[in-house]
Amino acid sequence: MSTADGAVIGTTQIAGSAPRNRAFNVVLLAEGFTAAQQNDFNNACMTFVNTFRTTPPFDELSAAINVFRVNVRSTDTGADDPVAAGGTGATVRTYFDASFGGNNIRRLLICNTTTALQVAAAQVPEFIVVLLVVNSTIYGGSGGSVGTYSLAGGATEIAIHEMGHTAFGLADEYPYYAGGNETGHDHHPAGEPGEPNVTTNSNRNTLKWRWAVASTTAIPTMANPNCSQVDGRPNPVPTGTVGLFEGAHYYHCGAYRPEYDCKMRALSVPFCRICRQVIWNRIGPLATLSARARTPISVIARFPEHLDVFAVASDGRTVSNWWDQSSGWAGWFNLMGGIASPGGPGSPVTAVHRYAGHIDLFTVGTDNRVWSAWWDAATGWHSWFQIGDLVCRQGSVINVVSRYSDHIDLFTTASDGRVMSTWWDVRSGWAPWFHVQGGVAASGAPVTVVARYPFHLDLFTVGTDNRVWSCWWDERSGWHGWFQIGNLQCRPDSTVTVVSRFPDQLDLFTTAADGRIMSIWWNSRKGWANWFHVSGGVASPGSPVTAIARYSGHLDLFVIGTDNRIYSTWWHENQSWAGWFNVSGGVGMPGGQVAAISRATEHLDLFTVGSDGLVYSTWWDGATGWAGWFALGVT
Amino acid sequence: MPSKESNQPATTRAARLIFEYEGERVRLVSQQVVEMVVTGFDIARAHHAGVYVDARDAEDRTLSRVPARDAFATSTEVFPERAGEAIVRVDTARPKGAFTVVIPVPQETNKVAVVRVVPAQLDAKLPAGGTTSRVAGAAEATDLATFPLTLN
Ligand SMILES: [Zn+2]
Ligand SMILES: [Zn+2]
Repeated sequence: MSTADGAVIGTTQIAGSAPRNRAFNVVLLAEGFTAAQQNDFNNACMTFVNTFRTTPPFDELSAAINVFRVNVRSTDTGADDPVAAGGTGATVRTYFDASFGGNNIRRLLICNTTTALQVAAAQVPEFIVVLLVVNSTIYGGSGGSVGTYSLAGGATEIAIHEMGHTAFGLADEYPYYAGGNETGHDHHPAGEPGEPNVTTNSNRNTLKWRWAVASTTAIPTMANPNCSQVDGRPNPVPTGTVGLFEGAHYYHCGAYRPEYDCKMRALSVPFCRICRQVIWNRIGPLATLSARARTPISVIARFPEHLDVFAVASDGRTVSNWWDQSSGWAGWFNLMGGIASPGGPGSPVTAVHRYAGHIDLFTVGTDNRVWSAWWDAATGWHSWFQIGDLVCRQGSVINVVSRYSDHIDLFTTASDGRVMSTWWDVRSGWAPWFHVQGGVAASGAPVTVVARYPFHLDLFTVGTDNRVWSCWWDERSGWHGWFQIGNLQCRPDSTVTVVSRFPDQLDLFTTAADGRIMSIWWNSRKGWANWFHVSGGVASPGSPVTAIARYSGHLDLFVIGTDNRIYSTWWHENQSWAGWFNVSGGVGMPGGQVAAISRATEHLDLFTVGSDGLVYSTWWDGATGWAGWFALGVT
Repeated sequence: MPSKESNQPATTRAARLIFEYEGERVRLVSQQVVEMVVTGFDIARAHHAGVYVDARDAEDRTLSRVPARDAFATSTEVFPERAGEAIVRVDTARPKGAFTVVIPVPQETNKVAVVRVVPAQLDAKLPAGGTTSRVAGAAEATDLATFPLTLN
């Protein structure tokens, strides 16, 4: 009746080839198999692998999944089967002490979970899920930290449902506790469940899976007319429709599930769209990211020991990764089903942190409308919502500035190139989009912005004449008209990068029509200087110049060169510009962008899409110099 | 890329912890260093109700937190033998069992804590659509037990 009743024989990997330290590792333990019956266990494991790896979305994630079997011999066959629960009364000597009849219910198959976890940890220390396969044809299984199932037909479905809880944090979507005839389960108690696949919120605009709900789908999609019982009517909408179906999380009413059916509601049906998304976001971050080739990457540092990075995957999905000094890189995850507009380099996801516990995101969707989402330290991610009904240029960039913590200003270009803006204020919400001073940007030119003071904005873009134009806004005097800065001729899609090293100074960087990297500056005493060529540098066609000021007397620039290498130069007060140098041998994409951030004065972090399409990062530290590039995933 | 001096940053040190519980009593059965990544999915950023495990430094600052999804279960699922029949839950008379977590343990980690987070009031009322309002209040966490971390 214990580990004295058998022994661990050994471990064999039976599926997958992902590196063990960054994989979704599943361990199957043999229980109640004698030494002579080990082949039966091996066959049962293959049956599990076949079911598991053909269950969506695991079928698409198999590159990151490993399955191991741990052969364990027991003295006797099967499991205990107490008479009190309707069993045969069998008592057998097995390694993990498995027994039917838990809680006096014969189908409830329990075991010594401590032993099971210890054996799994000793055999495959990197395991994520451990399942105990019990050598009996009596139907049974159970969940928890060790899922159990017997060899009776269909019991592998139990294991996959239980994995939904243990590995993915999914809630039960069934609308009853004890089958539907129970009392006290008519109305779900107040409060929003933390799990991603059930909700008590029936407001379309704040629903946590609203990104997956079509505007033509009724909300709620199905309401229970009689809360004293489970709604047994058939699905009123086509299978696979995501909406709001009343009856979930053990209650007949007041809680909703995303689809009519889901494996978290009943065995032998597929996972719903929302559960599949959650599973993707658990397993996907174990991999590196294939990015849209020229996607501009956004990065913010809410505090010096933390970075949040935003990018767009090769299929257009909006994705994020984050780094924390204590836990390293978290892995790339999908931001609530978002797909960014293609066109030009493709719309990026831009981000702003109005304060340390909050992130606001902006992108242009495939419908060329402006979408936003936000994250709050207390409540997590909130789904995408549309800001007004402006139709943007395909691939437009939304540039954002937060002049103070309760305010956001957005700038972008309409489908006809008009320079458009809106703002959000904590007191009044989102304002309507408005056309800024009649300005029209050249095709592909973004609108950049800087707030030198909380009450002042400076805008820059390339006009339809391919010249650099600016305008400004001041709280006291409002908007002022556009004026041309020098007579530089740019590429029409040039980005005018602006840095304000201190409030009365502006430094601009852009590329001339022939790719030369050009700069100009302004200060309140001397006004605008003249455009000059920065250290002879020439950019890959379409590549923007990234500039940051680590402190007021210093500038660092980053760009992709004509040979697609990643170059940098710097300027230091009272010195001239340094020569361009290749950063750690890095090679980027033609026309690509290098994102840079300084989370501490003597530190820089860079991000770019490498020549193989993966997102790479490197860093510079004052004490140790430049590090090598590494493919950004999870650490 | 990859560049001439490509260097993948070191994986953050992680520990596998196995706990046993009976009622609200919990005991750390084993701790071992494990060479594996812990993705953001498991490093809790939103503090929903539930049980978590914290890695803490000598000053009791939390360095990382991961959910312990199967801890102190007060009910268990019973599955139907025939497809289409209901999955049901039954209460467990006295919660008893074991659970495991893998948690990042930076060098300064000196103890681990099992923590129960009760729902924040704000979970009940999300801000209205189209706004990005600051929400007041925070979830409350109570330590159920702490254990010294002795692995090296
Ligand atoms: Zn369940
Ligand atoms: Zn589901």
